[in-house]
Amino acid sequence: MRLGMVIDLKRCIGCYGCQIACKAENGTRPGTTYARVLKREFGTYPNVKKQSLPLLCMHCGDAPCIEVCPTGASQKRSDGIVFIDADMCVGCRACMMACPYAARYFQDEERNYFGVGMAPTAYEVSRYQDHQSGVVEKCDFCRHRLDQDKEPACVANCMCKARIFGNLDDPESEVSRLIKEESGFQLNAEWGTDPSVYYLPAER
Amino acid sequence: MTISETRSISRQMTSQPDYLDLRRQDLNSTYRPQREWIEGRGILIVIAHFFAGIGAGAWIFSILFDYRVGEIMAVVSIGLSGLAHLAFLGRWQRFLRILARPNSSWVSRGMWGTLLYGIGALVYFLPGVRDTLMGSISLGISLFGVTLVLLCSGYVYSVSKAIPFWHTVLVPILYIAYGLRGGVALLLVAAVFGGSSLDIDTMETIKLWVLASTIVLILFYLIIANRSGGAASYSVHELVAGRISVAFYGGTIGIGILVPLALAIGREFGLAGMLTLGIIGFASLIGDFYVKYCVVKAGTYVPLGDAVGPVSPKIV
Repeated sequence: MRLGMVIDLKRCIGCYGCQIACKAENGTRPGTTYARVLKREFGTYPNVKKQSLPLLCMHCGDAPCIEVCPTGASQKRSDGIVFIDADMCVGCRACMMACPYAARYFQDEERNYFGVGMAPTAYEVSRYQDHQSGVVEKCDFCRHRLDQDKEPACVANCMCKARIFGNLDDPESEVSRLIKEESGFQLNAEWGTDPSVYYLPAER
Repeated sequence: MTISETRSISRQMTSQPDYLDLRRQDLNSTYRPQREWIEGRGILIVIAHFFAGIGAGAWIFSILFDYRVGEIMAVVSIGLSGLAHLAFLGRWQRFLRILARPNSSWVSRGMWGTLLYGIGALVYFLPGVRDTLMGSISLGISLFGVTLVLLCSGYVYSVSKAIPFWHTVLVPILYIAYGLRGGVALLLVAAVFGGSSLDIDTMETIKLWVLASTIVLILFYLIIANRSGGAASYSVHELVAGRISVAFYGGTIGIGILVPLALAIGREFGLAGMLTLGIIGFASLIGDFYVKYCVVKAGTYVPLGDAVGPVSPKIV
């Protein structure tokens, strides 16, 4: 089994719902956005177009981050999910240099959202306790939710149904069908990392 | 309340506004500079690789010329490199874990190199060992260790597929050349300030050859990177005409190449003296640091988003 995601760029309206849902689900610190939305404008007035590009860890089949990790903290599960064992990470950041998708984040100090020089709120204390400082973090397709038969938070909360999650190895799955029928493509496939996240073109 | 006022209040409320603004800007920019290995504590990586390079080079030439002061300086340099590496790590208490993956990670191989070098040099320095079989074995281990260190400091960058400016075999070659050059420079400085039994003329000849080779290498590296286009070309632009140009022209070219070259030519025309040699060595060391600083600082990630439409230089 190889878990993967399809993101339909025609459906995505760039609402940042995935980004907020991810932060709420994972309780990440300021500056860390496992799921984010990149926006670009192109063309000249009046023929201007704005394109949203949702990004997250691509859970690459040939993940360069795993190869360069000196401790074995970056690992891959049998279902293809690339994750970091925070207890093994030394914070050398070699994986951040290797990842072409900017999907990894390092917290060099314990930042919080509210108050200069103030203690974090009770909510922040509660949410941040699962996050170590001095280590690299990234999206793991919400594996804690998958283990409870739930979809990743960004998929479950996408109001446009632009994200579809499933088994890429199953030719009958929704993700496989969409990739085949709607010309799904991997982001910058020429880098040879074989991402598990596919995009459906914004225009056909 | 205007948007700018809201943003201002938001900045005051967050504990590290500059850092977060910078990260947000980076993530939205077409050409995203790498910052983790150069800014803040990241500068320690450059310092670590500087000391590792000159330490390895100094050890090789000290052994070659049987120069005891140089051997000690090499040990100190590689020790400082190890300390800088430790200080850089987010979780330095776990540093022994780095030894776990020498089969695939150059960071791990570098750690093994440092460890082997440390063990070899320690045994080699023990009284009565130097001229024995044990001395030869420990010397062999230490030389293997420093070779690994010299290789690794370049390869940790060149394996980064995400940063095209680094993703070339020229980076390890450049790091090896500069490591050897730095080693000779360190020995020249040691000879001036530490008293010498060193063959200065031979060392100076080696220095000139390595200096010439680094000039050719830098030129070659920049031309190849510039022709690669995209992020690599952008990195070259940052070096020669962008935000790193002062460090590049001042440190790498000016102090690192032109000063040693001018003084070396001056020596041919009568500008003799140990002090001149010391200045050549010291300037070369500064240049060695700056070439590493510039290469690391110029690292730019491949742009995202080309696949979904024309990339606009405008940051949205």
